[in-house]
Order: sequence, then C-alpha cells, then structure tokens
Amino acid sequence: MADIDAVTLGERIREARKRADLSQEDLGRAVGLERTVVNKIEGGVRKVTALELSDIAAAIGVRMSTFFEEPVPALVAHRSSQGLDTADSQIDALLAKFASEVEFVASLGVDELGLDAAGVLAQADITQPSTNAEAEALAVKARDLMALSAEEPIRRLSDCVAKVGLLAFSRDIGKDTADAGTVLLPRGGVSLVNSHMKVGRRRLALAHELGHYLIADAYTVDWRVADHSDHVVPMESRIDRFARALLLPKAAVTRQWHEKVARSGVRRAAILLASEFRVDMATLATRLKELGLADSEAVVQVRKNRTTQADIVEMNLYVPLEEMEGTTVPRPFARAVLRLVRDERISRERALGLLQGTFDETDLPHVRERRADEIWDFVS
Amino acid sequence: MTVPDNAWVFDTGPLRHFAIQGWLGVLRFLAGERPIYIPDSVERELESAAAHVSAARAVLEADWIRVHRSTSHDFAEAFAHYADRLFADGKNLGECGVLAMGQIYRCEVVIDDATPRQIAREKGIRVTATVPLLCEAIRAKKLTTVMVEELADNLLEGMYYLPFGSGGFRQHVLENGLLDYDEL
Repeated sequence: MADIDAVTLGERIREARKRADLSQEDLGRAVGLERTVVNKIEGGVRKVTALELSDIAAAIGVRMSTFFEEPVPALVAHRSSQGLDTADSQIDALLAKFASEVEFVASLGVDELGLDAAGVLAQADITQPSTNAEAEALAVKARDLMALSAEEPIRRLSDCVAKVGLLAFSRDIGKDTADAGTVLLPRGGVSLVNSHMKVGRRRLALAHELGHYLIADAYTVDWRVADHSDHVVPMESRIDRFARALLLPKAAVTRQWHEKVARSGVRRAAILLASEFRVDMATLATRLKELGLADSEAVVQVRKNRTTQADIVEMNLYVPLEEMEGTTVPRPFARAVLRLVRDERISRERALGLLQGTFDETDLPHVRERRADEIWDFVS
Repeated sequence: MTVPDNAWVFDTGPLRHFAIQGWLGVLRFLAGERPIYIPDSVERELESAAAHVSAARAVLEADWIRVHRSTSHDFAEAFAHYADRLFADGKNLGECGVLAMGQIYRCEVVIDDATPRQIAREKGIRVTATVPLLCEAIRAKKLTTVMVEELADNLLEGMYYLPFGSGGFRQHVLENGLLDYDEL
C-alpha cells in the first residue's frame, strides 16, 4: 500500500490525464467539475472525495487503484524515457492496462494464472544472441523450455508462451500501428499482438515478442516485425531470426522441404510446409533463403505464393481454429478470472471486463448453490 | 469525519428493499441507538434508482440516514481496492464505498450480494444482510413472518443461492430454531 499525499495524488492524476491526451477542460467536463477545480486537484490544493476520484479514473480510462500504486518498473522506465507530457499510443495504453490487470489478478493469489512458470527462465542461462547461430540456438532452447520437441509444429503459440510465464493478448488495433509489444512484469510478462494482421504474421509477431521476453527486454513495441535490417538494428534482426527459427525449426524444415519439393514441386511444397507450420509465405521464403534451401528464383516464387481455397480442398490441408483472432485473452488468464468468479472474489461484471468481451454473462460459471445448513450465514 | 464503529453502513439493495416495502420506520426502530450511514456512492445509486422507483426517494429524504463523504487517502485507497474487485461498466460502485467504510471505520455493513459479502468476510469486515434484519424485526414484533416471508424467500433463493424456493424461509427459521411458533 502506498502512503501518498495530496500533491503526489494530484501529480498522478495529471500524468494519467496527459497520457490519455485529455485537457483539464476535457476532464472537468467529463466529471462535472470546473477546469480550475481540476487544476487545484492536480496541484494537491483541493481535496478530492473517493467518489470524485472514481469518476476521474473512469473519465481518464484507468482503474482508480492506479493512483495508489507504482506501475511495474518496466512501465516506469518506459514512461520516463518518453517524457511525462507524452500521450500514450494505443499500444502503450493497452500494454499498461493489461499489465495492470494481470498484476491485479496475480495479487489475488490465483494459481491458474501460471506466472510462476517464469521461474524456469532464471535457471536457463539465457543471453542476448549476438549472431544468427546464437539466435538459432536460443530458438532450440525456447522449444525445450516450452516442452516442445525439436521439430514439431507449434499449434497454438499463445498457449506455449504461457508455459514460460508470457501471457499473450490480442486485439485489432488497426493497420498503421505497431504489430506487437511486450512489457516485463516482476514475475512473467504480457504481450499484445495486433490481430489486424493475418494469422501467420500474428504468430511471427508473438514469436518475436517471446524473443524479447526471453532476453528480459523490459519494454518493447515492434512496428514491423521481420523487416529489421541487420545493419541498422542488429538485435531486432537477431530476434526476427529467432522467431523464424522457433516456428520453422531448421532440421524439420530442411528435411521436409527436400522431400516435398522432390515429390510435388516448389509451389505445393511451400503450401504444405506453410500449412503444417502455420506461417505466412513471406516468412517461409525468408527461412528457406537463410537456411540455403532454395535459390533466389524459388524464394521469389514462394514469396509470391498464395494458398487458395482450391489448394485447401485438393491438398486436404488442415485448417485449425486460428489463434489470436480479433480480441483474445490468454487461456491461463481467463482460467484465473473464472476461478475468481467461481470463488466469488470478484464481481461478474468485473470478470466480464477483464475478459474483454470474449465471454458473455451466460458463459460465466454459475454461482455455487449453498447447502441448506449454510442458512446460518444469512439469517443468524 | 469519522464514523462510530457501532454504525450500520447500508448498501443500496437492503435499503431499497426496506423502502419499497414501506418498512423504513422498522429499520429505524431496529437500529435504536446505532447510527445508520450510507457512503456517497450508495447515495448516488439511490438517486439513480429514485428516478424509476419513487420509494428510494424516501431513503434520501430520511434525515436519520447519514451520508458519508471522505477525502481521506486511506479511505480512497480502500475504495479503489474494492473497485478493482467489483466495479465495472458503471455497476457496483455503492458496495465499494460500503466495504471501504467497513474496513476503515470497523463498523458493520449490510450487504445482500454474494460476492461483496464474501469479500467482506475475507477482509474481516463484519457483515449482515436484509434477511437477518427481517428476522430481528419479527422477534421485535415489528413485522410478522407473513409480512416478510415472500421477500425473504426471494432474497434467500435469488441472492444467497440457497436451495429453496417459496415457503423456504418460514420452514427454515422454524427448523433451525431461529424463531418460535409463537413468533410467527
């Protein structure tokens, strides 16, 4: 619990208002206070009631508790590097919100959240990859940490990353914005993937975020995953390499590519491999190139490839329910929220909010019916 | 402003039940010397309810029901914690103020909803509800079982999730010796 004074509270309100890109007039109008009163509250001169503070938090779009808590260190450092007067981008605001909500659920001590899984990283001796070979090796280690075999396709990457304490949310935040971002928590981490992208790119973006998480980058926002130049941003380029190596393991891709090309030709081989490993053609093309499996003509052919409906039927491709479609919350987080509802530790309305519209009221568990002898709790 | 620890702090639901039934006078009698409080968050919910249920207006006009507003940071922090547990989509704000008062002033709160009652128990806040107050009113001969049993049945079945329906209240208070036959 933070023991804060009126000036600190006022400063926190001012900072949150500016991050939300609201003026004092905007905030005053939303909560029915004069601008001068808002100014006095932010200056710590005018006291504020709990109810007013609740209204202010709602108008700014933050939880009221954020005025009384220090954000996670990764957010503090990021905000300080951005400058206090900077409005949050959409992805910054969402990452802060998800970090805060995961921390809230964690504070209630729900095992289902699974952030303890992050403990395996402490013994894993992970360092930043400085060469492509180290990026490949990190991908092998990541598979091992997530209890995946060296060659198997990763069916649901968002479930796998949770096994090392990374909780991946998705939301469509539009075309001209970031692909993904990650914030490190004191235990575990939170990623947001922009689901405006197609599934192959979403998975690549999450694999990239896993790379940042594994090397303990405190706060990252990635605008164009896989477009990083080795000369300009070598570490991002290494993490791109890690992401491709994770999704398309070298040995499996090498063997299957040769087999499939010999049997069916380049086009069908590419379609089969992309379907098997759930990647987009651009990622597969880059992977074939960096592994020296295809000449430049074949790489161009793969990159231009497009899997058609006819391919899916004629080649009998498996099309699973795509992960991170639209708004999704990570499975362990949803499980933890449901546990809290079942145990009546949070309201159903709050649970629906935490689940971000992925559940409706009828999806929530029924409240436990009491035994008749429990009447003493209610009529004594 | 502090609140005495013998105060009863009411959530919106229980007060609305008493008001709608026209039993606010009974509540005042039951309180005796105990002051009755509501936080401003409950006042707001009652004002909102008064637009649809005119009986709620009677609570707002009762001068013996005091409205508590706090600018204390401890209070606001407690309120914020309960808002984290309960508040969403504009709902459950009243309970946040009630639980914060129970925590800060150590007084007994009157709440019917299952989740905030559970949270109160978790936090060591004394909590009671409408049905115990109705039982007390019957014992004090201010109300009869016939008068309260339909409301009690509905509350027990719907809000506390007890496995009985119509007639359950009467049967249970008798079977459990809560009230005697001659009190019915």
